[in-house]
Amino acid sequence: MLDVLIIGAGPAGLSAANACREWDLNVLVIDEFPQPGGRLLGQLHQEPNGKWWNGIEETRMLLEKADALGADIRCGLSAFHIEKASHGFSVYTNQGVFDTANLLIATGAAESPVPIPGWTLPGVMSIGAAQVMTNVHRVRVGNRGIIVGVNVLSAAIARELQLAGVEIHSMALPALNIVNEEHGHPRKVMERLVRMAHLAPSAWIRFGSQFAKIDWMRNLAVKFYPKHGVKMWGLPIHIRKAVTEICGKDQVEAVTICDITAEGERIPGTEQTIEVDFVCIAGGLYPLAELAAVIGCPFQYIEELGGHVPVHNEQMETPLEGLYVAGNITGIESAKVARAQGALAGLSIVKRMCRESEDLKQKIHEAKQNVRTIREQVTIQFHPGIHQGRLKMETVFKEVCDQ
Amino acid sequence: MDKIIICRCEEVDLEEIEQTVNKYGSSARETKLRTRAGMGYCGGRTCRPMIDTILEQLTGEKPKDKIPLKVQPPVRPVSLARLGDKTHHE
Repeated sequence: MLDVLIIGAGPAGLSAANACREWDLNVLVIDEFPQPGGRLLGQLHQEPNGKWWNGIEETRMLLEKADALGADIRCGLSAFHIEKASHGFSVYTNQGVFDTANLLIATGAAESPVPIPGWTLPGVMSIGAAQVMTNVHRVRVGNRGIIVGVNVLSAAIARELQLAGVEIHSMALPALNIVNEEHGHPRKVMERLVRMAHLAPSAWIRFGSQFAKIDWMRNLAVKFYPKHGVKMWGLPIHIRKAVTEICGKDQVEAVTICDITAEGERIPGTEQTIEVDFVCIAGGLYPLAELAAVIGCPFQYIEELGGHVPVHNEQMETPLEGLYVAGNITGIESAKVARAQGALAGLSIVKRMCRESEDLKQKIHEAKQNVRTIREQVTIQFHPGIHQGRLKMETVFKEVCDQ
Repeated sequence: MDKIIICRCEEVDLEEIEQTVNKYGSSARETKLRTRAGMGYCGGRTCRPMIDTILEQLTGEKPKDKIPLKVQPPVRPVSLARLGDKTHHE
């Protein structure tokens, strides 16, 4: 029987494993991907201070430590069910059942699909899939593509594809339908873009975005958005053009794109065909929480955290004794936050398993502070209301536990 | 080709889901049972968020705290042999 089973070998899971091993707990980390690192593996971007964030390098450091501490990490194992048991939990995987006293679910996030006509053709992929193929598998996703959906994640990955020598024609919005309003409405997209403008490589865009923080200025910016798009790293970004259809017989051959009004309505007669051999769709991320749901953990819908999130407190404990969560399953944030949350979750598990000492108390206090500090410092913030979201969750946790 | 597929496994398109919700005033679960959207091989892993969004848009109701479409094991495709295998690791 295990002291701790950790589902997910991403930044949260690995740092949790390391924290537990430092206190000599018997730990197993499982992950359904063939190699550890989670979505950290795909990340490669330059931060505003000029330093590069290289996910492969960050993963290597976490794994080196895990190796030195003797953490058991097994890949290619996927958990499909969890049951409560007298000893704690039984976790059903494609390689047998594991029994554990404590369970940490660190399954991260999944990408929200953005459907448009033709989106099921071969050659259409989520932007995250393009990232993994490029940076992890080192496979060229195509020769020339277009990115549908303009947001923090897609802009960062567009840059990664460019660095890998893949030609990106442009970035544009999906044609508005009732499923993709968040991503197809120019004003809504602009609002979110403004909040990431501090990351922009061009001083001009950073400068302009200061004005765009003012409502009426932002409306003007949407209204008079340049016809040829705003270029970032030479890549045209359009928020007044939308992809209405992905065309092709057996695979992607082209897309149809047209001009749209500030409200996202198509302007007839502006349709254009652009030849591409792949399309990346970017609809943002939501917490991947299926396993917390099957074990009966209560949930709360918090928009600022990215959707339905398992109820938990700042120490990463859930209302179910012995069940912990960390990383993007608790809300969509940067990998750095996930890593800090993982360390904190690990220490919370140690607290449950070992006698509480002054030393441990101090370490938990520091780990908690560390999560807060990193949340303040990170440059990529997916949801601007993350702090409010976190506060809401604290309140909900108390309410649930009082009942 | 104007069809927008929502559930890839069962090939259910947006129009069919919209019509069903409008005709029956159905919940996410009822819509799933009527159209089979979300009932295919992948277990709704791709279309679940879209079905939630469609319902939210058509009914104007914000999602509640309970996950609209109940998550049920197995949450990953698994062979019957594996499903029945109760061998516990030491």
